[in-house]
Amino acid sequence: MEGLIRFLVHLAIMTEIYAILSLTLNFQFGLTGLANFGHVAFFMLGAYVSTILMLVAHCPFGVAMAGAIIACGIFGLLIAIPTSRLKADYWAISTLAVAEILRKFFYNEKWIVGGGYYRGGAHGIGGIPAPLENFFSAGAYPFFYLVFAGAFLAAIYLILERLTRSPFGRVLKTIREEEVLADILGKDTATFKMKAMGISGALAGAAGALYASYLRFIGPDQFMPLVTFIVWAMIVVGGLGNMRGALLGAVVIQAFYSSTRYFKDFIPISADRLASIRMVAIGVLIVLAVLFLKEGVLKEKKRIYRSGSEEG
Amino acid sequence: MLSVRNISKGFGGLRVLNRVSLEVKPQCVTGLVGPNGSGKTTLFNIISGLYPKDGGEIFFKGEKIDRLSPSARASKGLCRTFQVTKAPRKMTVLENMLLTAREQAGERVSRALFGWRKVCATEEANLERALKLLETVGLETLGNEYAANLSGGQKKLLALARALMANSELLLLDEPAAGVNPTLTVELLEVIRNLKKKGNTFFIIEHNMKVISAICDMVYVLDSGEKIAEGTPEEIQRNEKVLRAYLSGKRSDAPDQSGKGM
Repeated sequence: MEGLIRFLVHLAIMTEIYAILSLTLNFQFGLTGLANFGHVAFFMLGAYVSTILMLVAHCPFGVAMAGAIIACGIFGLLIAIPTSRLKADYWAISTLAVAEILRKFFYNEKWIVGGGYYRGGAHGIGGIPAPLENFFSAGAYPFFYLVFAGAFLAAIYLILERLTRSPFGRVLKTIREEEVLADILGKDTATFKMKAMGISGALAGAAGALYASYLRFIGPDQFMPLVTFIVWAMIVVGGLGNMRGALLGAVVIQAFYSSTRYFKDFIPISADRLASIRMVAIGVLIVLAVLFLKEGVLKEKKRIYRSGSEEG
Repeated sequence: MLSVRNISKGFGGLRVLNRVSLEVKPQCVTGLVGPNGSGKTTLFNIISGLYPKDGGEIFFKGEKIDRLSPSARASKGLCRTFQVTKAPRKMTVLENMLLTAREQAGERVSRALFGWRKVCATEEANLERALKLLETVGLETLGNEYAANLSGGQKKLLALARALMANSELLLLDEPAAGVNPTLTVELLEVIRNLKKKGNTFFIIEHNMKVISAICDMVYVLDSGEKIAEGTPEEIQRNEKVLRAYLSGKRSDAPDQSGKGM
């Protein structure tokens, strides 16, 4: 029983972290139409920047989190620059490449930061500090972290929701639907796209910092392109352009992904074979969603305004 | 207001515009006519900044604008519509209208996050104006319909309403009456005439000579990328070159056809 609760709390925390990723990717693709296939880059950059700031430069968690958010925001602005010159599909491929380059970078680099020493490598980095860890017993800490990560998720949800409903979000939607129209109506689409990537990237960075301090260990293998595709599965299944859909997708896919791991206790199948079967199953889920639920479980909502007929 | 000087444009070996110069005077309706493929829409695309020009200059309100981005030109008060209306698939008519309002504070991230009340107040005011404009073009009952679900003619009206919402000084309309039924066309012309009185300037591509005669103060005629005539609608309809190239469709016997009205 205790084991089950521990597992459920773990699942909930991972879902919260992934929900931040799915919400931010939904903001990029679902709302703005920017097909980012390197979303894991924000996750990774956030995790590494926060870890390096804490372990190497001995900053407190708050500073590390802020550093992760700022670094990812800048990174988002930068990768949005080519969108005005590259066609959507070519940009998508380049984001995939950028994320892999970043992964190799953290794998291979060695440098001195703030008096400390960072060394990459396949072995990853362990012993990452977590916020307020001294105030809770080891058994109670996950419950605290559940609330802590939940607060971040809630704040990020509110920020993105507000932006989506604002005139800013309306321009982003127009960029997705008919970019020329936005341009011709005086909206500087290149700048809007940079802002969209910068903001959503910064917020996705928070997920990275939360992840690093939760697992207390990060390594290059945790940031494979696969992570991006799992997040994509979340927004495709949940519903593109619908924030609650992105949340739902995160819950469904994360639950599926985490719990199938335990199927080996019930089904006579080897663990490594199961890992592959899990991926196949997620692939099938995406295909089914695309075929039968074209707009996901929750569709993008139509924005209804007071209409003309009500007027005198 | 708008001054186009010696604009040239080629696509590969095809010469689409050859040193075209024209002038759009403030508070006038200027027409642009010519057979299909004569370069009218290309000229619009160059003026609005969607295509780069090969040569020539464009001045708007005395300022050289030919190096500005399309959005920068629009911000200066130059708005255009398209021959085939751009109608976002998943945005309602009202969303289209609200989008178009210029200089919205709520398009800034900081304002959207920290000045919500003010943003809402602006939205409300814009909504009011949008509803009035939709009434003007007869789309008031379709405010919450997706723009893509409108008929071709309704999309044209939406494009016009959008252009009006932008409150631009100069409106470039690419065939505003094509596909719009005759009654509505009359109303549409009335709208344009009223706006002209209020101080708007129009530059209109149109095939229908009745429309042209009804509203245009000045007409330019393009043929194969060359400006072949300019003048009032009456002068244009008597112009021999124009008759040959565009109005009669016959290229041989022009003079004695000139009496025929369009």
